[in-house]
Amino acid sequence: MPKREDIKKILVIGSGPIVIGQACEFDYSGTQACRALRGEGFEVVLVNSNPATIMTDPETADRTYVEPITVDSVTRVIERERPDALLPNMGGQTALNCAIALGEAGVLDKYGVEVIGCDLDSIKVGEDRELFAAAMKDINLDVARADIAHTLDDAKRIVGELGYPVVIRPSFTLGGAGGGIAHDEQELFHIVSQGLQLSPEHEVLVEESIEGWKEIEMEVMRDSAGNGIVICSIENLDPMGVHTGDSITVAPAQTLTDVELQRLRDYSIACLERVGVATGGSNVQFAVNPNNGRIIVIEMNPRVSRSSALASKATGFPIAKAAALLAVGYTLDEITNDITRVTPACFEPSIDYCVVKIPRFAFEKFKGSEDTLTTRMKAVGEVMAIGHCFEESLQKAMRSLEQGHAGLGSDGNDEYDEENFDDLVSRPTPKRILYVAEALRRGWGVERVHEATRIDRWFLERIADIVYAENNLREGGVSGLSAERLLAAKQMGFSDVQIAHLTGSSEEVIRALRGVLGVMPVVKTVDTCAGEFAAETDYHYLTYEKGGATEHREASKPRAMILSAGPNRIGQGIEFDYCCVHAAYALEAKGYETVMVNCNPETVSTDYDTSDRLYFEPLTFEDVMNIVEIEKPAGVIVTLGGQTPINLAKRLKAAGVPIMGTQPEAIDLAEDRERFSSLLDRLEIGYPPSSTAETIEDARKVARVIGYPLLVRPSYVLGGRGMAIVYNDADLKTYMAEATQVSPDHPVYLDAFLEDAIELDVDALCDNDDVYVGSVLEHIEECGIHSGDSACCFPPFSLSDSIVANIRDITRRLALAVGIKGLLNVQYAVKDEQVYVIELNPRASRTVPFSSKATGVPLARMAVRIMEGEKICDLRASGELPDETREIGYYAVKEAVMPWSRFPGADSVLGPEMKSTGEVMGIAKTFPEAYAKTREAIDYEMPGEGAVFVSVCDRDKRAIAPVALAISGMGYDIVATAGTAKTLAAAGIPARVVKRVSEGHPNVVDLMASGDVSFVINTPHGHESRGDGAKVRSEAVNRGICCVTALSATTALVQALAASRDARISAYALQDLG
Amino acid sequence: MNLLAQRHRHARALLALEDGSTFSGWCAGAEGETFGEIVFNTSMAGYQEIVSDPSYAGQIVTLTYPQVGNYGVCREVMQSGGLFLRGLVVHDMCHEPSNWTSEGSLPELLKQNGVVAIEGIDTRALTLKIRSAGAMRAAISTVDLDPESLVSRVATSLPISAHNFVPDVSTKQSYTVPAKGEKRFHIVALDCGEKRGIEQGLASVGCEVTVMPWDTPAARVLSESPDGVFFSNGPGDPEQVTQTAACAREVLGKVPVFGICLGNQLMSIAAGAQIQKLPFGHHGGNEPVMNLLTGKVEITAQNHNYGLVFESLGRLVPELSGGETEHHADLRFWSEKRIAPVVESERFGRVRLTHVNLNDGTPEGIQFLDIPAFSVQYHPEANPGPHDSAYLFEAFARLMKGREDYLAIDVREGRRF
Repeated sequence: MPKREDIKKILVIGSGPIVIGQACEFDYSGTQACRALRGEGFEVVLVNSNPATIMTDPETADRTYVEPITVDSVTRVIERERPDALLPNMGGQTALNCAIALGEAGVLDKYGVEVIGCDLDSIKVGEDRELFAAAMKDINLDVARADIAHTLDDAKRIVGELGYPVVIRPSFTLGGAGGGIAHDEQELFHIVSQGLQLSPEHEVLVEESIEGWKEIEMEVMRDSAGNGIVICSIENLDPMGVHTGDSITVAPAQTLTDVELQRLRDYSIACLERVGVATGGSNVQFAVNPNNGRIIVIEMNPRVSRSSALASKATGFPIAKAAALLAVGYTLDEITNDITRVTPACFEPSIDYCVVKIPRFAFEKFKGSEDTLTTRMKAVGEVMAIGHCFEESLQKAMRSLEQGHAGLGSDGNDEYDEENFDDLVSRPTPKRILYVAEALRRGWGVERVHEATRIDRWFLERIADIVYAENNLREGGVSGLSAERLLAAKQMGFSDVQIAHLTGSSEEVIRALRGVLGVMPVVKTVDTCAGEFAAETDYHYLTYEKGGATEHREASKPRAMILSAGPNRIGQGIEFDYCCVHAAYALEAKGYETVMVNCNPETVSTDYDTSDRLYFEPLTFEDVMNIVEIEKPAGVIVTLGGQTPINLAKRLKAAGVPIMGTQPEAIDLAEDRERFSSLLDRLEIGYPPSSTAETIEDARKVARVIGYPLLVRPSYVLGGRGMAIVYNDADLKTYMAEATQVSPDHPVYLDAFLEDAIELDVDALCDNDDVYVGSVLEHIEECGIHSGDSACCFPPFSLSDSIVANIRDITRRLALAVGIKGLLNVQYAVKDEQVYVIELNPRASRTVPFSSKATGVPLARMAVRIMEGEKICDLRASGELPDETREIGYYAVKEAVMPWSRFPGADSVLGPEMKSTGEVMGIAKTFPEAYAKTREAIDYEMPGEGAVFVSVCDRDKRAIAPVALAISGMGYDIVATAGTAKTLAAAGIPARVVKRVSEGHPNVVDLMASGDVSFVINTPHGHESRGDGAKVRSEAVNRGICCVTALSATTALVQALAASRDARISAYALQDLG
Repeated sequence: MNLLAQRHRHARALLALEDGSTFSGWCAGAEGETFGEIVFNTSMAGYQEIVSDPSYAGQIVTLTYPQVGNYGVCREVMQSGGLFLRGLVVHDMCHEPSNWTSEGSLPELLKQNGVVAIEGIDTRALTLKIRSAGAMRAAISTVDLDPESLVSRVATSLPISAHNFVPDVSTKQSYTVPAKGEKRFHIVALDCGEKRGIEQGLASVGCEVTVMPWDTPAARVLSESPDGVFFSNGPGDPEQVTQTAACAREVLGKVPVFGICLGNQLMSIAAGAQIQKLPFGHHGGNEPVMNLLTGKVEITAQNHNYGLVFESLGRLVPELSGGETEHHADLRFWSEKRIAPVVESERFGRVRLTHVNLNDGTPEGIQFLDIPAFSVQYHPEANPGPHDSAYLFEAFARLMKGREDYLAIDVREGRRF
C-alpha cells in the first residue's frame, strides 16, 4: 500500500533523558524516524526533554519541543500544533507510556490524533504480563508458569505453587527495573516489596525460574499487508538470569540449529500477530532449554528497542527508518534496501561476520551496591565489535570497552581476586568473562566452567581456543611469529599489545613486524546480504584474511576522520556523540569525504547515513592507526569525542597523523596541572590554591598551609573518579588510606575547596586569533558537586554583568594562551566576587549540546569549521556567531538525572564524583518555570501535597529558614529532626519533630513508608554514609520520593514549585526561539 | 580452526578457480581432490541440510557465514541418504560442536562421506568473486598444493553442464512414504534428487508418496493411477534431464502436477519454454518472493543456478494481464502492479506467472490455467530456511481436490505450529 495521504502532520515522542535501560539508542531510532517521515513530506513535531540528542536539533524535526514527556506537557504541544497522528513507538517505554496516558486522558480523542505505528491495546498486551501470557496461550506458545502478585501474601502463595527460585518482574518499568531472582523468603520479601513500589500499577509477576537456559532475542518487523521478516537473531552468552542489556550478546545466534531457529522465527511472527503489532519492529525474547530444546516466550516489546538498535547496526538494516515508513502506510516490499539500493527491504538480512556486544558498567561509582548481574539492568553503555569469528569479535569488543583490557586478558593488566576466584567465575558480574578465561587458563576445563556458569560449551570452547592460542604464542616467542602465525593471531582478535605481552615484545615492535610481514587488516563491508549484491554504502569493519582482499574504495575527495567517544559511561555519553555527528555534517559541507570511527552501537554517529564512511572499530591506538593507514586522512578530529580520542592524540601525532584543530601540545598544556598553573600565574588569573601529596604526612602539611575544606583526588581521574571533599584531618586520613594507588608517580591532588562558591561552565570557540564565548552557564548546585551532576542555567540568573564580562575576558585570554583551535570548556568558581579557574578542557564538553540549543548557535559545527580554517571574525560578520552579550528573552535550564534506583545500597548524595546518566532541559520565560520543567521532565510529576521532611547539616542551618518559610507558605507541613526543628522554631516556623532512625519508632523512615512525605530536603555533611541521612535518602529513592541534597537546589525547587502552581506554563518550540 | 588453536596437525589444502585465483587453507573434511562448479550459499545456519541436499551434486559450496559446524550434525535433518556435493568451503570449521541434538561433528560427517572440504578461506572475498564472475569451475585439493598446477587442471575440467547428475542422486528403486495422519491422496514423485523435507511436506498434507526413479516412463507413472504427480528438485543442467522432461510432457494435463526447483524447470521445458543459467544462481534462505495472487511476500529458501525464461512460455494474453501486451524481462514490473500476467503456451494453453523474486525480478512460480498443474522454482520445504512457503503443499492438495483458487493461501498457514 502506498503512503497515506490523509495525514500531514505527525507528532513523534522521544524517550526523555538517558537513564539505565533507555539510552541513546532512542536518539538513533527517533532521528531516523524524523528524517524518514520528513523525507516523505510529512511535517514532524517532536517532543523530547533531552537536549543532548541529535533528534532535538532544530534541523531534525519541523517543530522541536524540548519539553517534559508528561500528559500535561504533551497536551500543551498537541493543543498548539494539532498533529494528525502520533508515532509513539520510537521513544522507548517512556513514549509508549505517555501515549497510553494521553489516550486514557481522552486527549487523543479530543484533538483527533490517530496513533500510528502501533495501537494502544497491543501495547497493553505486550506490556501486561497477564494479558501477554493469555495471548501466548491462545497461540499455543509456552510461557514460564507465573502469577501476578499485588501484595507480599500473593507472592508467598504463588511461590507455594512454583517453588524457589522464582523470578520477580514488576509491570511497566524500564529495563526491568525492580526485578530480581529470589532464592528464599527473605529475598522474596525484599525484591517483591521493592518491585511493588516501582511498578506504576503496583504489580509484580512471580515466575518459575529458568536460570541457565539459553536466552535468544528475535528482532522482527511486520507490515500492514501481513508480511513478517526477522532482521536478526541475537544469542546471549550469559544464560537466562542476567538482563539482556547486561549480557554479552552475539549475533547471529551461534548454538541453535536451523530447525530451532526457524521455530523461533515462526513463534516470533505469530507473537507479533497475536499481540496485534499492525506494523513496525518488535523484539521477542525466548528462553531455550539447552537439554531438550523446549522454548518459552519471555516477553516482547512492541516497539523499537535497544536490541533493535543493536540489530540495525549488526546487520545494516535500518529498523527504525523502516518502522516509520511502515507506520505511514508503506509495505516492506515498497521500501528499498538502502545498502544495495536495488533490492527491497522485504527480506531477511544475511550476515557473513560475527557481532559481539559487551555492556559497560559503572559499579565503581556506586560504592555499597552489589555487582551481581540480575534481571534488573544496570549497564550504562555498550560496545559492539565485528569480526570474522566470535573469538575475534569478543577480543575486539573487550578492548573497545576502554577499561584497560587489550583483549580477553593476557595483556599485562591481569589481576584476579584469588580469594574469591571460584565465586567470580560462577557469579555473573561485569568481570566474569575475564574470570572464565582465566579459569580455562588455570586448567579448569570447559566442562567445569560450564557447570559453574551454564554458559554454552560452544562459547567456552572458543574461549578455550583463545587460551590455547595464547600459550602457543607465548611458547613461540617473537621469533616464532611467522607471517602465517601472526595472521592467525590477528584472526583470533589478539591486539598488538597482547601479542607483545605474550611474546615478551612491545606493541611498536609487533606493529613494525606486521608491516614487514605484510600482516595488515583488510576492509570488509556490512551489506545486509553476505555479498550477494553490491553494497552502495561504505559501512565497514576491519579484519584479517589471507590474500588481502580489501573492499576499500579510493575517494575522490580528501578524507576527514572523526574519532568518536566509544561506549557510553557516566561522564562520557551521548553529548560527545552529538558533537561528532555535527562534525560529520560540517565536514561534508566543507567538501570532505567524512570517515567516522566508533564502536558504540547505540549512537547516531554509527548510523551509516551520518558520515560518508563508517568504520565500526575499537578506539585504540592500533585500531585507529589501521584505519588512518587505509584512509590516509587529510585531518583527524580528536577534540569532539570526549576523553577517548584526546587520550590518543599525542601518540597519533607522534606517528605522523595530521590532527585537526587544537594540537596535542596545547592539550597537554591544559591537562598538565603544573604547566597550566604556571600559565595561570603568568596571566595573573586566580585559581584555588593547590598542592600534591604522596603520603598522609605530606597531605597534612598541605592541609595546614591551604586550610580545610580540601578537594582531594587521585592524579589520573575520569569523570571525577575517586574525588572527595574533606573537612578535617580525620576525613583526610580515611581518604589517604583508601586511595591505594597513591605513589610518587601517582600523587594525590589537594585543592582548596571553595565552599558555597558559585560554579560556572563556559563553552567557547577559539581560532588562535579570536575567541567566541558561546555560553556562560551558572550552576544551581554550589561548588563541590560535579559539574555533570549539577543543574545549570543559561543565561546566568544571579551574576552581575561585570562578573560575566570578566569571565568572558579570562576565557578569551586563556584560550589564546593555550592555543586552542576549536572548542574549549572552562570551569569557574565565583566566591566573594572573585573569579577562580577550576579547570580548562581543551575539547568539546558535556554541555556543548545544551549550550547550542540554549543559545541557538551550533557550537560543535562552528568548531569544526574553525578547525578547518574558517575565522571567527568572518562567522561573526555573517551573523552565524551572534553577539555574545545579546539579550535573549528566556531561560534555559539543564538538570542531571541520577540512577539511584538502580543501585540500592549506594548513597544517593551528590558530590565531586559524577554519577548522573543523563540530562533534561527546560525552557521558559523565567528561571523557576524553566527549572520546574526540568523537575517535571525527570520525575514525570511535581511533588504533590503533604509533608516535607527537612533535615540539614549545621552549615546549612542558617540558610534553611527562608526556604522553610516559603515551603510552609505553600501549604506544606514541615517535619524535621529535633536539631533542624529547633532552628526553624527560632525563625518562627512551625515544624513537627520526628524521630531519627536511630531513635526508635515511629521515625522518619516510618513516616515516609506511610506515604505522607511529598519531598525530602536532606543535606549531608562530610563522609557520613552509614548514618541516618543515608537511610532517609535510600528510602526516598526506593519510594520514588523527590529528595534534594543541596541547599542551593532546594531554593530552586521551591521557586519551581511556586512557579508551577501560579504560572500558566507554555511550551516553546526551538524554531521559535532567538 | 585457527592455526594457533589446532591441537593436532591439519593437512593443508588449496582451492583454485577457473579465473586463476587460488586460496590456501586447511583440510576440513576428507583429504583428496575434487572438481566442481563453485557456488555460494548465504544461509547463516542449516549447513547439514545444505551438504545433504542432492541438488548440490557437481558443485562446490561456499558457505558465507564464517563459523560453521557449531551445533554439530544429527541423522534427523539429513536431506538425503548421503552427501552429493563435490566439496565445501568455509572460513572456520567447528570441531567441538554443542547442541542437545548433536550426534557428531560436521568435519567427521564430511570425512565419512569422502567430501573434500577446505577452511581458513576468505569466504567473503571468494563470494564477491563468484558474484562478479559468475559460478565457475573450481577444485579443492589436499594433494596438489601447487597453485599453477591446480588452476591449469581446473581449466581442463568438465563444466557442470557436460554431465547429467540426476542419475547419480536419484533412487534406483521405487519406495513409498506413508501419509502423515489420514491418507487423502496417493501421488507419484519423480525423484531427480528429492530432498527428504519435500517428502515430509507432501506427507504432511495427507499424501502417500510413491517415489520413483527419475527416468520412470510416463506410462509407468500413470499406471499407478495417482491422484497427482510430483517433479522434484535435483542437480545440474535441466537440459540434460530429457527423460524426466519427456515424462512431464506426457503426464501434464492427465493428472494434477506439482513441481519444485528442477521440477519447475522440467515442466516449463515440457510446456515449450527456454531455460537460462543465472550468473551465480540463488542459494540461501532469505530470498523475497511475492505471490502475485495474494500480494504477500514469502521469505524463501532457494538453491538453483538455472531458471525459466518467462517470456519464452508464450505471448501475453492482455485481457488476463491487466491490458499489458509487452513482456518485461524484469518481472518486478508485474509485482509492483500486483498483476499476475498470463501467456498462451505452445502445448498446454494459458500459463500464469504466480510468483516473482523481488531481488532480481526472475520468475519463481507458474500456474497452468487450462490443465491442473503448478510449479515453483524455490523450496517450500525449506530445510534449511523459513517456513513461509509450506502452504504450497496444501495448495497441491487443494489442486488435487479440484479447487480453483488453490494458490491463494496466506503465508501464515505455512508457519502454523
